[in-house]
Amino acid sequence: MSRVKTPNAILELRGEIKLDDYIVDIAWSTDATRLVAAGGEGKVFLCKYGESVLEARDVGQHGMGTLVVAWQPSGSVFASSGQDSRITLFDAEGGLLAQQRPSINWTTALAWSPDGKRLATATAKQISLWNPSLVLEHAFAPLASTVTGLGWDKPGRDLAAAMNGGLVVHRIEPPRFQLRHYKWAAPCLTAAFSPSSRFLATGTQDGSVHFWHLSTGRDSQMRGYPGRVEIMSWSGDSRYLATAADEQVVLWDFSGKGPEGSRPLQLRGHTDRIECLAFQPGGNHLVTGGRDWRLSLWLPGKATTALDAQLTVSEPTCLRWSADGRFVAAGERNGRLSIYELVRIV
Amino acid sequence: MAFSAHQKLRNVCSGRFVAADEGVDRIDAVHEPGIDEKFERAINRGRRRFVALLGELGEDVVGADRRMCAPDDLENAAPDWRELETTLRTHISGGTYRLIDAGGVIVGRRVIVRHVFQRFAHALSYHLQPMATMDRIPVTVLTGFLGSGKTTLLNRILSENHGKRIAVIENEFGEVGVDHQLVIGAEEEIFETNNGCICCTVRGDLLRILGQLLKRRDKFDYIIVETTGMADPGPVAQTFFLDDDFKQQFLLDAIVTLVDARHIEKHLDEMKEPGEQVAFADVILLNKTDLVGAAELERIERRVRAINGTARIFRTQNANVPIDRVLDVGAFDLQRALAVDGSFLEPQYPFEWAGVYQLPAGQHTLRTGADTHAHHHHDHGHDHDHGHHHEHHHDHDHDHGHHGHAHDQGLGLVVLPVAAATEQALASAIESAVRAFAEEPVGVDCGGSLKAGPVLHAIDVNHEGGHFVIDVAAAGAHAIFCEHAPAEFNLRVEGTTPVAQRAFASHHHDEEISSIGITDPRPLDPQKLNDWLSYLLKSRGADIFRMKGVISLKGESRRYVFHGVHMMFDGQLERPWATGATRQNTLVFIGRNLDRQELEAGFHSCLA
Repeated sequence: MSRVKTPNAILELRGEIKLDDYIVDIAWSTDATRLVAAGGEGKVFLCKYGESVLEARDVGQHGMGTLVVAWQPSGSVFASSGQDSRITLFDAEGGLLAQQRPSINWTTALAWSPDGKRLATATAKQISLWNPSLVLEHAFAPLASTVTGLGWDKPGRDLAAAMNGGLVVHRIEPPRFQLRHYKWAAPCLTAAFSPSSRFLATGTQDGSVHFWHLSTGRDSQMRGYPGRVEIMSWSGDSRYLATAADEQVVLWDFSGKGPEGSRPLQLRGHTDRIECLAFQPGGNHLVTGGRDWRLSLWLPGKATTALDAQLTVSEPTCLRWSADGRFVAAGERNGRLSIYELVRIV
Repeated sequence: MAFSAHQKLRNVCSGRFVAADEGVDRIDAVHEPGIDEKFERAINRGRRRFVALLGELGEDVVGADRRMCAPDDLENAAPDWRELETTLRTHISGGTYRLIDAGGVIVGRRVIVRHVFQRFAHALSYHLQPMATMDRIPVTVLTGFLGSGKTTLLNRILSENHGKRIAVIENEFGEVGVDHQLVIGAEEEIFETNNGCICCTVRGDLLRILGQLLKRRDKFDYIIVETTGMADPGPVAQTFFLDDDFKQQFLLDAIVTLVDARHIEKHLDEMKEPGEQVAFADVILLNKTDLVGAAELERIERRVRAINGTARIFRTQNANVPIDRVLDVGAFDLQRALAVDGSFLEPQYPFEWAGVYQLPAGQHTLRTGADTHAHHHHDHGHDHDHGHHHEHHHDHDHDHGHHGHAHDQGLGLVVLPVAAATEQALASAIESAVRAFAEEPVGVDCGGSLKAGPVLHAIDVNHEGGHFVIDVAAAGAHAIFCEHAPAEFNLRVEGTTPVAQRAFASHHHDEEISSIGITDPRPLDPQKLNDWLSYLLKSRGADIFRMKGVISLKGESRRYVFHGVHMMFDGQLERPWATGATRQNTLVFIGRNLDRQELEAGFHSCLA
């Protein structure tokens, strides 16, 4: 691997705003002019971004804490959910459209199908499918354990749910809803299809990554992590699966024969635990945020060191790319929300 | 701690990533030679140079938009310089910020300076605001069977003015004061982890909730986890040891178990959970003491003590206890001295009580049992919650015979003539009594006679209103050594009372769960100790609920302190032995079906 002497891209700060509390989650609108942010105190903020100006106002509240926000792909609505169990649907101006409360349990996951026609939610062991007006389309039978993560495949046909004991993939072909179990005797935390839909990966509480070849059902385990693996992201070309092990970025290479028996790429630069990471949609730039109050930009496979780094003013807590891969939004522990543009250097 | 740079670096060096085909281990270690050396070099540069660097460049950054502190603040704050420097050194390579070295594109003196300073300020902020980011959040786990008073205690804690902001994780909503903000409901969900050990179960619901609480950690400074009445405390405790990150963020302070004095005996006899809750405890509140008699309470406390030899036991009514007895106890804090109840480590006797009587020649009657009352062991009328739990303990019916005193074999009793009716004379008879108790017992039915001499009688106490004849050939003082406290059987010698009496620590119980303590002054070999403890964790981890120890290692001036919950183990060298003080190993094991001989043999194999 050759080290790139001159980085091909850097991050430039385009806007920042201080919200009230810990930022738990962020979602971009498809046109990258708006963001919705979830506050640890429970507020839902709608932020508008344009001409390097970032404005925000709170449009809703989830008692005890908001857990997740999700903007409808190619659409004009967004949803939020929280520890009050409620699922709330807003229009692009933050107006309340609909609300549902499946149970008293936390609604911990929201996932729009890639075509934006369905919203999947997980409330404890219950997965539900809603239409874009938040009308219940299908409620699955409760799973054996609490769902910790949801993920759609790119065609929007399969919905994977992570839980203790493995992953369950729901084949969504209404009126038929078939289930396939991918068993792995560990508390699984995430469910991530590769963009190619060839692999399904999960991170576990026991410090390992597990993945399945979807064509054969064959599975493999990658161990060696110092703790739970709860963040992962696939590169746009499905070559790399990025994860974090303390302060290292760990990437598994799925090209050629795949990662079995291989050593991962280990990228060093952070000096404290990595809290969040995200690959550029459709691209190969990776951004990571660490407890060292730093956002780093990487180009795995091309450079072993960070192309750029931006210092934050508290711990980064979440990172989201806009759908066009041009902007990154970063949330921080102290409520700061900042937007960076990926600027290519010729 | 957020900045344990050295530790972190070691992780880097030892960290290995293993890829395997379908679970088949194909270990492929990745080592980075030289990284340790580089690190050492970095920390060996003096702090003066660093401060000088800062002073030299400081002006350039004080005016910067993100100013966090001035160089003066650094000097005045007087943080732990060594640690701070250790942290900072890892970020700096020859005065240049490593980020720049590591491929940053924004090159230029001012930027470098600003980054250096920010890094410094960032590190310093950890020292200036220790509450916000550095301290681990203490966690108290409240366990106790249904109706033992957990909610009463919790409400008491929450309503008291202790200045703590407490987050409560409880199994059910609605019982705790509604105006308390941070009450989170949990639904018990047990996860088995796959790290090669079958008993490492954790609470999945707690993992999720604690993960969320971390996001609001500046809003509270203490966590209380209230478990269900039927909860196994093991998975709850293990949750805090599972993950490196959790270990850095949370500090399990203590497991506090409430015991309903009125019902605990029945519960211990019939179910496994109450015994486990007692066994795991660091603090036991013997609650509702107003509902039982003094003798019963004594018996209950002895039984609880036999299960858990190290917990601090407080007798309470309405869970009324000073808050500092249950919060900030530091039971898992290795830096605090291992608190082991002294009486637990005293020599153990096969009898619990002895009394000395002045008896004239002739026949005397020893009576047991109440003349008028029904035997209180069968006096419980609390079956109302029984069926409710039945499904949870169906697999433990076979254990029933192991619980409680083995009354059906008779009560062990020895009558010894002694020199005088004094405590000293009683003490001098102990040795012969111990020898007598080692003999095969002679069964004595109701109405039978007891010999004065080194003979172990097993008197029949199942018979209501039992009476036995003591033949006294020559008048004089006689000591009666009894397997259990006489109050339990209303045992008395007709027409007289003991002139002197004494209670003994006894572990002669037949509890399935018990505590075993080992004390020994001889130093141990570190490697042998390591081997033994590893073996013990692997082979007996499921049965050993808790273990604690302070160890004297050969050639080591500091004390090695450890504790464990099942197979989760934590140990380190702590403060030195006091000069002149006797170095002594103290180990305590609490668990199910523990074998004292096996543990002692293992311990002896570790002698240096």
